[in-house]
Amino acid sequence: MLEDKRDGWKALIALAPAMFFLVIFIFFPIVNTFLLSFMDNFAWWPGAGLWLFGNTFDAFPSLGNYIAVITDPIFIDAIVNTMTLVVISVPLTITVSLLLAVALHNVRFMKGIYQTIFFLPYVTNAIALGMVFNVMFSKFDNGLMNQLLALFNVQGQNWVGADGATKTNMAIVLIIYSLWNGLAFKVLVFMAGLASIDKQYYDAARIDGSTKMRIFQKITVPLLSPQIFYITITSFIGAFKMYTSVISIFGKGPFNFGGSAGNTWITIVGYVYKVMRTDTGKAAAGSILLLIIILMITGIQFLVGKKRIHY
Amino acid sequence: MEVRLENLTKEFLGKKGDRTVAVDKMTFTIPDGKLVGLLGPSGCGKSTTLYMIAGLHKPTEGQIYFGDLEVTNVPPENRGIGLVFQNYALYPHFSVRGNILFPLENVKDYEDPNTGKKRRYTKPEMNIIAERMAQLVDIKPYLDRKPKQLSGGQQQRVAIARALAKSPRVLLLDEPLSNLDARLRLQTREEIKRIQRETKITTIFVTHDQEEAMSISDLIVVMDKGVVQQIDEPQKVYDEPVNLFVAKFLGSPAINIIEGEFKKGRLLIDGKEFDKGYEAKGEIPLDGREVYELLTSKGFTQSYEDFYLAVHSTKEVTEGSEKVQVPFELNVTNIVGHAQQFGFHGTDGEIERTIEKMRISLKKNRRVYIGIRPEAFSVEDAASAKFGVQVDYIEHIGRDISIVGKVVGPNTKLRVIIPSELSEKVSPGVIKLSAKRFYVFETDGARIK
Repeated sequence: MLEDKRDGWKALIALAPAMFFLVIFIFFPIVNTFLLSFMDNFAWWPGAGLWLFGNTFDAFPSLGNYIAVITDPIFIDAIVNTMTLVVISVPLTITVSLLLAVALHNVRFMKGIYQTIFFLPYVTNAIALGMVFNVMFSKFDNGLMNQLLALFNVQGQNWVGADGATKTNMAIVLIIYSLWNGLAFKVLVFMAGLASIDKQYYDAARIDGSTKMRIFQKITVPLLSPQIFYITITSFIGAFKMYTSVISIFGKGPFNFGGSAGNTWITIVGYVYKVMRTDTGKAAAGSILLLIIILMITGIQFLVGKKRIHY
Repeated sequence: MEVRLENLTKEFLGKKGDRTVAVDKMTFTIPDGKLVGLLGPSGCGKSTTLYMIAGLHKPTEGQIYFGDLEVTNVPPENRGIGLVFQNYALYPHFSVRGNILFPLENVKDYEDPNTGKKRRYTKPEMNIIAERMAQLVDIKPYLDRKPKQLSGGQQQRVAIARALAKSPRVLLLDEPLSNLDARLRLQTREEIKRIQRETKITTIFVTHDQEEAMSISDLIVVMDKGVVQQIDEPQKVYDEPVNLFVAKFLGSPAINIIEGEFKKGRLLIDGKEFDKGYEAKGEIPLDGREVYELLTSKGFTQSYEDFYLAVHSTKEVTEGSEKVQVPFELNVTNIVGHAQQFGFHGTDGEIERTIEKMRISLKKNRRVYIGIRPEAFSVEDAASAKFGVQVDYIEHIGRDISIVGKVVGPNTKLRVIIPSELSEKVSPGVIKLSAKRFYVFETDGARIK
């Protein structure tokens, strides 16, 4: 018992540096966000009152922020936008990366090189990627996408410019971006999963006379279900938090969200950043609502997944 | 379905381009409806052979025939085989029923018994087959369980049911019992035998366990280093091993090997006569260097009779426009090269030919190995005994007693099993023995007698 205690102390000392930063930058903000979301008219700049660092607020606890957020047409827009992007991009990226992983798994020639190429986006800065996309999809003739369209005699489009880019065009760019950006990690996870499937199942399935399609559906996908499930959950969460891609492609920072394109493709996280400066309480309420949405969807996935995942 | 392998060879390419020959020019026929064991030590190429028959490995050379049909380049799914993997490879996410149904769901050319048209199985038809298979392998109560919820023996039976569901022409089993504990092994091997008898499907299984092969096979194919050593019924392989390897590989406890020596038609152990009657049939100078003598053998047919048969052979000559076979006698002084285990190469000056399946070239006065099975000894009195054994210790195993000792002279370790009622004849010290049955092998392993 005595020894246990001593070990406990050693553990605490070892943990202390990490705990220090975790408390300041993770635990405190979580609790604080929760509290702030129930404070009306919280003023985030110091000196105005008595709350913690001398901030002021009108009422606590109050549901005022939540009511304001839910009735805010921009927030409704943000939810619709985010949902749209999630519903399109998540199944798309999972399907594409699964097929790519299976293809890469079966390739023998220069396997390592292909794997490296597909992993590169993972180690590249998201903002830089967004800027590259901005250039690639530029409305001017030197935009790569428009050059490509010109090859097929298709009229160049305005993809990302605020002046006249349609919402659909912008969505296409966003989805291609998130598809490509998310590919690396997903392919990596799927390939690790594929490598762990016993080759004998495939031999057995071949002798049983299965077609390639059937082997994929009945053997590969079920045996890969733990990885697919993990990727589905993390992709959903990732997609709900979509924000960097929007501001990096369409420009401007958090407060002038989306640059001149404005709120066309504002996301939930985008909304949170946008209102943070003017009304921190509303921003906090927005992020708590996002948390609830993600929790609900993850919960549903766990319930559905229970029966379909074969560990 | 008869399975015939012709000249089947498999080479594996190493990373540095080096070649390993796993199976070397294998030729044999597995008769229809038999249960055949491929037996050999690990790395002898038996599993490779099985996978080539299955179609999962492509042979480097040679052909595989199922009946009259060549299947060498037919993909596994079209060969009509069922394969049971060593670790069963049951699909973990399907129930037992799902596993048995899986191959059936792939069938596209089931001939409708009424219309004669080819079609897929219907759900009820598949279920009937699944139930029948489950009945056959005795797993009916577990049809709706997952493989993980079954014991090893039950999983094994599910794997057999899955392999049999498509009514294959040939059933292949890769080390079917190696993942089971001793008790289950005994039970399952009887089960395999029973299932094979009931279905009458030509079945080939791979094993390294000689007891397993002996107990259930109709025929045993003994392999070593990619080469077939012997194909025979289990008892024949045990009683009449063709060479030292087969003799050593079969039998538990293993055969005793004692060094002996041939001298003027007599077989000696430690300078004392062990056996005689190896008459010299004339001396043949070979290569002008060594003098060989042909020895008669008692009972072992691939010997001197074959030699004369081969020597008095025929050759093909052209008479006018026709080719005819005329008898010719090989000039034995022209026999070139060292005669090998399975034949020799000879010439009569005009033609050269290789005569297979016989052995000659018994060198005069040379060392040999004498193989005696542990149960083939008899305890004798000093007058009739052939050799003595210094007893190290005696084990009593109930029905028999097992004596471990050393042969006086060559000092070879020896194990003798005699019925326990003879135990009073055994005393510590030296006991006198002779052999009821024994084999004589060349030092290169070829069998002389």
